[in-house]
Order: sequence, then C-alpha cells, then structure tokens
Amino acid sequence: MKTRKKIAFKIFQWLITIFVALIILIPIYWIFISSIKPNEDLFTIPIEWIPKHFTLKSYKTLIHQVGIVQQIICTLIITIPTLLVSTIICVLAAFAFERYSSPKLSVAYGLIVFSALIPAIVTARPLYDFFKKLDLIDTYPGLVLLYTSSLIPFSILILRNYLSGIPVDIEEAAEIDGAGLWQKIFYVIIPLLKPAIATICIINFINCLNEFFIPLFFSQKISVLTVGISTLPRANAYDVPWDLLSAMGCVILLPIIIFIMIFEEKIMDGIMAGGVKS
Amino acid sequence: MQVAKGNKKIWLPWIMILPVILIRGITTVYPVFMTFINSFRNLNVIQGGKGEFVGWQNYARMLSDDNIATSLGFTLIFTLVSMFFHIILGIALALILNMKFKGKKFLRTIVLIPWAMPMIVAGRAARWGFNGQYGFINDLIGRFVNNFHYDWLIDVDTARIAVIIVDLWKDIPYFAILVLAALQYISGDIYEAAKIDGANTVRAFFSITLPNIAKTILSISIFFTMWRVTNFELVYAMTSGGPHDGTAVLAYKILIEAFNNLNLGYASAIAVVLFVIMLILSGLNLMATRKYQNK
Repeated sequence: MKTRKKIAFKIFQWLITIFVALIILIPIYWIFISSIKPNEDLFTIPIEWIPKHFTLKSYKTLIHQVGIVQQIICTLIITIPTLLVSTIICVLAAFAFERYSSPKLSVAYGLIVFSALIPAIVTARPLYDFFKKLDLIDTYPGLVLLYTSSLIPFSILILRNYLSGIPVDIEEAAEIDGAGLWQKIFYVIIPLLKPAIATICIINFINCLNEFFIPLFFSQKISVLTVGISTLPRANAYDVPWDLLSAMGCVILLPIIIFIMIFEEKIMDGIMAGGVKS
Repeated sequence: MQVAKGNKKIWLPWIMILPVILIRGITTVYPVFMTFINSFRNLNVIQGGKGEFVGWQNYARMLSDDNIATSLGFTLIFTLVSMFFHIILGIALALILNMKFKGKKFLRTIVLIPWAMPMIVAGRAARWGFNGQYGFINDLIGRFVNNFHYDWLIDVDTARIAVIIVDLWKDIPYFAILVLAALQYISGDIYEAAKIDGANTVRAFFSITLPNIAKTILSISIFFTMWRVTNFELVYAMTSGGPHDGTAVLAYKILIEAFNNLNLGYASAIAVVLFVIMLILSGLNLMATRKYQNK
C-alpha cells in the first residue's frame, strides 16, 4: 500500500514537471522552429510543429542586412566594461558599508538600496537632457555609466550580505602582519568574496543583455541586440517581421540558455540571496 | 565592527563609497529632483512652451484627461489581476520547485529561462503568438476546441488578458524562486513533528508552510506590485499601448508624452504621480516588515 502511494506520488511529480516544462518550453520551441522555416511555411494553418523544410535564410539576412554581428559587438563593448567597473566600485562600497559603521553610512546605504525602486521612466527625460549637455548621448562611456548605475544596488546588497558572513579575524590577522588597507582588500577581501563576485557577475551579465530601456533612449547609432530586435525592418506599423524576429530571438536566447544550464545553481543562489534580505 | 580602530580616518569609508554615491546621485537623485521641478513648468515644445512656471496646471490637466483615467484604470487592473495569479501560482510553483526528486535540477533550469530572457523578446514574440491567424496560441487551443479563432490583440479586453498572460509567463518563475528561498528556511523537523501529530499534507501546508512564508510573500508581493506599476516594456513590445490605448499603462503614457508628444511638463507631472505611488508602496513595505519583526 505504501509503495503504491509512493509510485503514484512519483508519477504525479513527473507529470507536473512535464506540465510546467511544456508551458515554458512550447513558446521557446515555437520561436526556434519559426527561425529555421522557409518564409512560406511560416504562414501555414495549422502550424507545422515539426518543420518539413529547413533554411538558414533568416540568419543570413540578419548577418548581411541587419548587421547583427555589429550589434553583438556593441552589446559586448558595453557589457564587459560595465561588469568590470561595477564589480570594482561595488566591492569597495560593500566593504566600506559592512566594516565601518556610522549612522550616516547606514543612511547612505539605505538610500542606495532604496534608489533601486525609483522607476527608470521617472528619471529618463531629465537624465537624457543632462547627458545631452555633457555629450554623453550615443557614447560608450555614457552607456557604461548608466548600465553600471543600474547594477549598483543589487550588487552592493549581495556583496555586503556575503561579507557580513566572513569573520573580521582574518582581516585583523592580515593587519597585524602589516598589510595596508589596499593590500588587505586585494589579497584578503577579494579572494574571500570570490563566490559572491561570481554570483553578481553572472546575474549582472544577464541583466546587461536584457537591458532595453537605457540603450533605447540614450543611444541611436550604437545599437545593442535588444534594441535591434525591436527595430527590425518591417513593411508597416502592424506588420511583424516574424522570420527575422524569430531568428534574432534565437540568437539572443541561445547564449542565455547555455549560460543558465551552466550556472543554474549560482543564479538560483544569487536571486534568493537578493530577495530574502530585501 | 570597527576594523580600522588604529587609524581614525572617518573619511576613508566615504572615499570608498564615493563612486557609487556619485553615480547613483547623478542618475537617480538629480533627475527625480528635475522631474519634480519640470512638473510645474510649461514645456510643451510643440505648442511653444518656454519652460515658464505654471503652478499646478499640468496636474490639473491630468484630472480632465480621459486617457489618463483609462491608463490608470488598466494599470490598476493589470497590477491586481497579475498579482493575484502571481501569488497563487507562484506559491504553487515554489512548492513544486521544492520537491526532492530526480527532476529537480531540470525543472530549476527550465524556470530560469523566462526570468533570464529579455522582455522585448518575449513581448515581440507574444505579439505574433497571439496573432489571430498565424499565432501559436490559437493553434494550440484550436486543437482542443473545434473552430477556435480569436483576434486577441484587436479587442481591448482580450488584448488586456493577453498582456497579463505574458506577464505571468515571464515573471511567475522569478516570484516562485523568491518564495522557494523562504521555503528552504523552514526546518524539516516541524513537518516531522506535525506528521507524528497526525496532520496531513494539506493541513501541514496551511498551519506550517503558509505562516512561515507569509512575511516573505507579503514583502516580495509589494516589490512585484511596484514593478507592475512601473513596467512599460511589455506593453511597448507587445501591443504599443493598443488597441485604442486600452493597454497603455501609466508608465507607457509617460514615455509617449515625454519622447513622442514632447510634452515634458505633462509627462513629469504623471511621473511624479507614479513616483508618489511608489513611495506609498515602499512605505507599506517598510511598515509590513516592521510589524512582522515585532511579533
């Protein structure tokens, strides 16, 4: 009787897993098959869920006419410096917030975390005008600055939480050995923080790829992937260039899915660490 | 906590947080301040506004603007309906993710996909997915319901439903992962004890699980509410606010006024209203967490 119940429960677990997986994967699968179908097969009723014909034409158009390679490069030129800069300044800040305490510092910390809740849409227009005055619109430094800013609250939160779990003894021992502040940060703190740094880099990388609002409004010539997909050439306002759209969707999704498969646990930990404390 | 006892350099931590403070200050504090000021000015470039101060005129206009009422209405519906399902389905998914079995890793990887993909990709794909003729939604429903055909994005009501469905698809996994974090803090011993006392699974859920995760759910629900209130990307990508402005959420309205209609003063006034809503919600969040901590 007991084993029977157990088997029934096992079946139930798998059924529900398959159900959830299907809800999430069917749209993704549909985007994928659409991207490799010849144009005329895209408009069949009913949909061919198993494609009969196969072509890479949409991908070729993306490369030769849409300039997707350029967009990938632009995305990386913004993302990589952003990750570097944000990690460095956030490690410093998290260290200062955690290891020195004063009421004023607490207020500053509270304000930084709270500022994450200010909607981008509220700040967009004045920020645009301000950046225009400084000639930062449509420049990499300007974009890196904005991207970095968007990553700061979450990064500091995670790094500080992690740092609070590391006993100060290790740092004090280093101090007794004659290490200065900067030596301490580079040779003691950063190695200790490695897991947390990895977590924020992984999640921030995904966030950078996802960023849409900033590149849409603060750049015209520099075109990243997310903006590229929203400005694909189309016949009229109501038309959806589904052949190119699905292919571009796949180009964006593929690295993200591979990334998730590799770093599933790290990402999960990062999301949960960020959520519980906030 | 004072590590740097020996050197009483009070300015040292401030130097370390200076870059962060500067960047956040420039990109959030200053623009919010400017938005406040602009909301009292006439900056309607098309009609020759020169930035003169006009008092509460921009705010007064909102009261008589039918589009704002529609917008506010849909923002409210969108947020409430979406949050209702977020909480119910989010808890359900969290319980599923918390099951210990061989498919755990697979399931956890899958649910990260909607969270990690750009909203613009999901929204644009959904625009085609809900297409009456060629979309996959009608195709799938049509396999179970004979002759099913619906032009989702042409009717206001169904366009709204479609927008909410995509929002749920994209964000419930995220909600569930945060609930999962709270679930993992409940020790297994309590369940063992309850089992010995003869409590069944359903009772255990209502008398142990739910009370233990209630605080987290309340807190993340408020955050998710804030995101719903300020979200415009989904609408931008999927419906462009249509049909007949039926899905133009408030945040989308600000975008259109500020960047398309070039009516910056008016856009700022709406933005200030949005900001105040956010302040109230964060106040609620603070109060709720405090109240729970005191218990």
